[in-house]
Amino acid sequence: MLKVSPIHRQYEVLPSLNDPSIPAMAPMPAGETADTQRIVERFGDGILAAGVHNGQQIVYVQPDQLLNLAKFLKEDAELAYEALIDVSAVDCSKLPQPLNGRRFQTVYQLRSYARKQHITVICPLENDEEPQVDSLTSVYQGANWPEREVLDLMGITFVNHPDPRRILMPAHWPNHPLRKDMPLGGEEVPFSFTWGDPEFETLGKQVLPAESVPPEVPPGMSRENMIINMGPHHPSTHGVLRLAVELDGETVINVDADLGYLHSGFEKTGENKRYKDFVYYTDRMDYLSSMNNNLGYVLAVEKMLGLEIPERAQVIRVIMSELQRISSHLFWLSTHALDVCGTGMSLLMYATRERERILDLFEMVCGARLTLSYIRVGGVWKDLPPAFLGNLRHLLEILPAAFDDYEAMLTDAPIWRERLEGIGHLSREDVINMGLTGPMLRGSGVDWDMRRDVPYCGYENYEFDVPVRTAGDCYARYEVRMAEMRQSVRILNQAIARLPEGPYKTEDRKVSLPPRAELDVSMEALIHHFKLVTEGFHVPAGLGYHGIEASKGELGFFIYSDGSGVPYRLHVHGPSFNNLFAIAKMCKHHMLADIVTNIGSIDIVLGEVDR
Amino acid sequence: MDWLNLVILPAIRVIIMIFVLLTGAAYLTWYERKLISRFQIRYGPNRAGIYGLLQPAADGIKAIFKEEIIPNHVDKVIYLMGPALALIPAIVIWAVIPIAKETPAIADVNIGFLWILAIAGVESYGLILAGWSSNNNYSLLGALRSSAQMISYELPMGVFLASVLMLAGSFSLVELVQNPRPWWEWIWLWAMFPFFFICILAETNRAPFDLPETENELVAGYQTEYGGMKFSLFMIAEYINMITTSTIMATIFFGGWKLPFGILQNVVILGPFVLLAKVLVLLFLFVWVRASIGRPRYDQLMSFTWKFLLPLSLVYMFITALLTIQFK
Repeated sequence: MLKVSPIHRQYEVLPSLNDPSIPAMAPMPAGETADTQRIVERFGDGILAAGVHNGQQIVYVQPDQLLNLAKFLKEDAELAYEALIDVSAVDCSKLPQPLNGRRFQTVYQLRSYARKQHITVICPLENDEEPQVDSLTSVYQGANWPEREVLDLMGITFVNHPDPRRILMPAHWPNHPLRKDMPLGGEEVPFSFTWGDPEFETLGKQVLPAESVPPEVPPGMSRENMIINMGPHHPSTHGVLRLAVELDGETVINVDADLGYLHSGFEKTGENKRYKDFVYYTDRMDYLSSMNNNLGYVLAVEKMLGLEIPERAQVIRVIMSELQRISSHLFWLSTHALDVCGTGMSLLMYATRERERILDLFEMVCGARLTLSYIRVGGVWKDLPPAFLGNLRHLLEILPAAFDDYEAMLTDAPIWRERLEGIGHLSREDVINMGLTGPMLRGSGVDWDMRRDVPYCGYENYEFDVPVRTAGDCYARYEVRMAEMRQSVRILNQAIARLPEGPYKTEDRKVSLPPRAELDVSMEALIHHFKLVTEGFHVPAGLGYHGIEASKGELGFFIYSDGSGVPYRLHVHGPSFNNLFAIAKMCKHHMLADIVTNIGSIDIVLGEVDR
Repeated sequence: MDWLNLVILPAIRVIIMIFVLLTGAAYLTWYERKLISRFQIRYGPNRAGIYGLLQPAADGIKAIFKEEIIPNHVDKVIYLMGPALALIPAIVIWAVIPIAKETPAIADVNIGFLWILAIAGVESYGLILAGWSSNNNYSLLGALRSSAQMISYELPMGVFLASVLMLAGSFSLVELVQNPRPWWEWIWLWAMFPFFFICILAETNRAPFDLPETENELVAGYQTEYGGMKFSLFMIAEYINMITTSTIMATIFFGGWKLPFGILQNVVILGPFVLLAKVLVLLFLFVWVRASIGRPRYDQLMSFTWKFLLPLSLVYMFITALLTIQFK
């Protein structure tokens, strides 16, 4: 069993400046919208509070009405919140006066694609010791994995959940790590300069004893058939994904995904880091699109701060985001072709060649190629170097021809079409109900792109098309991604044309560091510098969710702030995690080889799935 | 008993042949790696020796000195037999292949075609037994695939070969090369070449038909539990098979050791070099296909042979029979 050793050093409590207002609850939403009005009318006392907060519709609901509310939200023609994007939970035990003395809240993000509306439903749970709430899986299929994640990390039981197992942590893990009474790092990290020190006595013993794999097969599978174990070390699971596959001959009957081999507790880490320091961690989640991860997190924080970003910084962000999208898609294309077609496939090297050019550009702006941390709260890290735009223009001339080459190799190649068409079919209803996002959504005929429909970073000023295909198979998703790369080039051309002069980060000294020259002449600048470096900036108490269109789908950050310089609760909605949920449905009754096609088509990065 | 002619000379020739084949297989890996790296805009091996020419030797030394691991859960005798059963037929098939005038083949048996078909049939046993004895689901699936695939593709291949020997009027490969053919026969043969080449790709488990060892689905298929020299034997067998089949194709379709139009027909020493040049061109085809064509799915592969190749080969044989009756 896990024990916190006596010599375990408690992490220093980050400063709250003796401010009596910290920590504070997020304020209740105020005002009303047509939607919240309709909900309150229907449910009356079942709704604790409803309104708008941080520009976001929020409804607090009693746990006994949650399931009814979800049904109402989905089925009511005027509301039509068809998709459940995300489920998370907050442990309020360290806040001054949890709502009506209730410790846990579950938080649901719902989306209406038709009406372009987003609503947050928060449900404070009654029982603090054994919290439980109705599962929404009967209404939204996509609630399955996110609810398992909450069960795993927060210890909230979902009643009537079809598959109540842990998902990220090992099955025998003794606690629920995201609860506030769990310290960061349950085990000690021995550190000393001399081997004789008592700190090393427990070295190697702090890890849980390995438990043998339980003999029983995953639920829904039978020993009658052949069960093979794909992963965690398998050439085409893109990391450490493990799939238990039930086979009848070569036909797949059942697939069960086992996640968590790369679980690194980003959320827990984030809750112990200052806001500005978590940017560097976001790189490591979806390590193929760190710019987009930076951007998603930074935008969520800026939304909470209510910060205005200079125009130049916005355009730079768009440039970086689109470059990253192309590079991520190129990597997807090359590995997908490799998975489907075999090692000899030269496309891997061709697409990597173009991706290297993009990474060269990233190296120009921030010195790194993979973990970039270039986009910071308040703007970007440094201004663009003088040679950047010339190189970018050159790249944009090359790229369309390169895309033509790739399409010439694949799009009409009979074997490629045979392998992709009709494989991994998902209908429009499926993808919405499962809460899938990104190209998965657009490949099945849902015309939705966060950049166009919930614009951020000034995306409303750019002209671009959202490629949509209705076939819903792997080939449709392939077409969507190829078309997206071309659209990204289009956006980049417009961004270069409109890149204005001006500051590349906000002038707000509460958030961004003053320039070095100012420190010599201004006492105030010196104070700001000192405060920012020592304790970072404070974010007003509140909660907010912000989603962006990352290359793999909707990347959302849910932040609950208690008014201090450290997020009270930080939840990451990774698109790979939700999209991977579809793997079971996509693979059923297809051949073994199609599993590989489907994994490639979902485009997962395990760093983001497991977080 | 004439010991010299019956035992000693053939033995020397056999040893030379085996040596040439093993070296050839080793350098075929170099040839393939160099070529495929050029297809993929990179350099390929270039550290061991000039142009990486010592790379195959380095690989061989590495494979020999690797620890021989035999997993506990395998059926040991059959597990060890697997690689040998894969390699032996690959070499034995060379007994009947003519490489030059006067010294046509190690054994100029009058049933060369049947020998090739028979030995090619034995080859799949090595793979099947290796996969079965490994006691591993991936290996088993790989073995099942390889048996189904090789047997299926041997059918159209056999029918195509039957057509060829109908035209030649002889079971001997030596005679096939030596007897002159009319022009229409060449064209009729070349029309069949693409389909025969597809059969050969499947028969040698080469990309895009490398389904028994698809690393993307089956990790390494039937070879999953093999390492070190045992694994190398499989690879050597595969590469020798490539050389063998290229040689057979060169012999059947492109005149073997002869130059076209009877040029320099009496210079015996040229024979092997002409054959080598033809084989290298055909091997280039193997690599070219691997670098540019994707892999079909297993069921697509099977339906391709049963629904397209086999009927086609039967039709081809029928027309060939008519042609033979008419013109010969």
